[in-house]
Amino acid sequence: MDTRGLCQYSDSVNELLARYGVKFGIYKNNQFREQLFPFDTIPRVIGAEEFSFLEKGLKQRVQALNLFIKDIYHDKKIIKDGIVPEEFVYSGSGYLTQCEKVMPSKEIYTHISGIDLVQAKDKSWYILEDNLRVPSGASYPMIARDLCRKCSPQTFHGNHIEDNRNYAKLLRKTFDYVNTGGHTVILTPGRFNAAYFEHSFLAEQTGAHLASGHELTVENDHLYFIDYSGKKEQVGAVYRRISDEYLDPMNFLEESVIGIPHIYDVYRKGNVALLNAPGNGVADDKGIYYFVPKMIKYYLGEDAILSNAPTYLPFYPEDMDYVLTHFDDLVLKDVAEAGGYGVVFANKMSKQEKEDFIALLKAEPRRFIAQEVIDFLDIDILEQGEFVPRKADLRAFVLMADEPMVWKSGLTRFSRNPDSFIVNSSQGGGFKDTWVLSQ
Amino acid sequence: MGIISVEHSDRLYWLGRYSERVYTTLKIFADRYDSMIDLEEDEYADFCERQEIPNIYLSAADFARRYCFDEEDPNSIISNLTRAYDNAIVLREEIGSVTLSYIQMAVYAMNKAKQSDAPLLELQRVRDNIVAFWGIVDDSVDDEHVRSIIKLGKRIERIDIYARMHLDKKEMKREIVKLNRRIDRTGLHFSSKRLAHINYLIEEDVLDHEELVQEIEALLE
Ligand SMILES: Nc1ncnc2c1ncn2[C@@H]1O[C@H](COP(=O)(O)OP(=O)(O)O)[C@@H](O)[C@H]1O
Ligand SMILES: [Mg+2]
Repeated sequence: MDTRGLCQYSDSVNELLARYGVKFGIYKNNQFREQLFPFDTIPRVIGAEEFSFLEKGLKQRVQALNLFIKDIYHDKKIIKDGIVPEEFVYSGSGYLTQCEKVMPSKEIYTHISGIDLVQAKDKSWYILEDNLRVPSGASYPMIARDLCRKCSPQTFHGNHIEDNRNYAKLLRKTFDYVNTGGHTVILTPGRFNAAYFEHSFLAEQTGAHLASGHELTVENDHLYFIDYSGKKEQVGAVYRRISDEYLDPMNFLEESVIGIPHIYDVYRKGNVALLNAPGNGVADDKGIYYFVPKMIKYYLGEDAILSNAPTYLPFYPEDMDYVLTHFDDLVLKDVAEAGGYGVVFANKMSKQEKEDFIALLKAEPRRFIAQEVIDFLDIDILEQGEFVPRKADLRAFVLMADEPMVWKSGLTRFSRNPDSFIVNSSQGGGFKDTWVLSQ
Repeated sequence: MGIISVEHSDRLYWLGRYSERVYTTLKIFADRYDSMIDLEEDEYADFCERQEIPNIYLSAADFARRYCFDEEDPNSIISNLTRAYDNAIVLREEIGSVTLSYIQMAVYAMNKAKQSDAPLLELQRVRDNIVAFWGIVDDSVDDEHVRSIIKLGKRIERIDIYARMHLDKKEMKREIVKLNRRIDRTGLHFSSKRLAHINYLIEEDVLDHEELVQEIEALLE
């Protein structure tokens, strides 16, 4: 398949992306700036058969994660049965006592999951990370596809590429399935959030209302949106793009000014659905990641279809030994960080940095995980008229309504730096469209 | 019909006002700029006075640059366009990505004009994009309240500027007729007493411009 056919339209596509304001916000030196998200027209292509394998694996993984969260906040069987040690559950920042014994609408916690994968040089796929709190990124390939089709219809004609513009429809279905009665709102921290474009674009595409916290209010155990005429409209589902701690100053961080006082009480009473559910962080913690294959076995009685990258928990003495003897080959991650921060490759450290890191690791073993470096596949990008290979990962999106649905596309992020594995947009990375073939 | 919060209704209104302010001040500017090329060096002083903006400019050339492009000057056209953009950017779901894109393109054209030593050409594109923006508002914004609030902002701003600048009375009258038709459809509170007074003022032989400005500014209070 010719994947370079779109390259001649690269400028036109990027011009259109600028026209529609496809940007992300970034703080540099304490100043907010909007920045275009660099788009490369060469897509990642995944064959139909290969994607159907990924699809099975992703559904399985998200189902198990959902069961895990439910279990942790209710029966805690997996802890009692000794599969996951309790210190990994309760000491992580993602676990929230407020979620104990609270059951979300339809027992769904993981409505929208962003699962990061990489494909190694031998073509096998590895899961790098589960994002179950507020994963972002689906809007970018969705709008990029629309614009690419405008610039070069012939590229898509007859090529059997799954149309990925149905993401809004899947999302709407996800909202509606758990909605407890009333409008659906996308709750944004505001335009100075990095992903504000996505919030507003998804609101437009799904027909949900975009709102900030102060536009919503709680009365008589229900959530309302206040119309400019003063009328109160009941809200039954909130796709919130703000993190747990800021959601409700009465139940979580008191100083939050972007949340809605008492929204969590409404949720607790079952009078509104929150997507994703609060407390999900207990399952996408980098430390818990290690246990996901075990969860799949435990809850579903199946072997994991998709593998984790080989991971070590220095918390276990034998893993600590391994990490210390193979230190130079590993990548180390601070479990409390995200966005590419706190991910360090040992082979890039100076001697002093290594010594300091090892001291820290020994002092706080629970704080880090170590992974084998996956030498993942490069995909070409077009840079100043030349094709150059760059590391690229894939964020797949799994949405959960009456059953899990895997979006037949995904966000392919690439590093613009030839020597780097880090693809996060906050680190200057760009993105590609992901084509899933229908036959 | 959708639901609109107080904040968004306010932003819709100001989007209408600032887009109009950019458009009409650019139009006036372009006309005056032309005559300033060879005569009437200090015409800008009169312009500032009528607009009630401080005359901080050193020369016609300084006025031409800073009034258009100085981001630090709160009265510059670029500052007003930034305000239009700041309102538009949070209204994507109400007005739609396509409508919003014209404001975005006006911003790009403005930045390009700023880089140019013959800016009128690019400034024309700023105006073109604003005209297209209004066209698209009419054509594709389905929600009548949303559409009407933007257009109300636009009308109020136009009457306001025309009155301040003592411009074409016929045009003002036309706008006031349209204002009467539009205002009921916005769902916004307004003073019918003031509206009646505006209708009276415009019919007078000698138009009291100052009073009209006052009344139009207070119409929604
Ligand atoms: N084991 C690994 N091998 C190679 N690259 C990795 C590995 N783990 C992470 N990376 C790179 O670092 C990026 C960030 O790592 P990730 O675990 O997703 O943390 P974050 O939460 O910061 O996004 C990944 O997207 C990938 O590009
Ligand atoms: Mg990641």
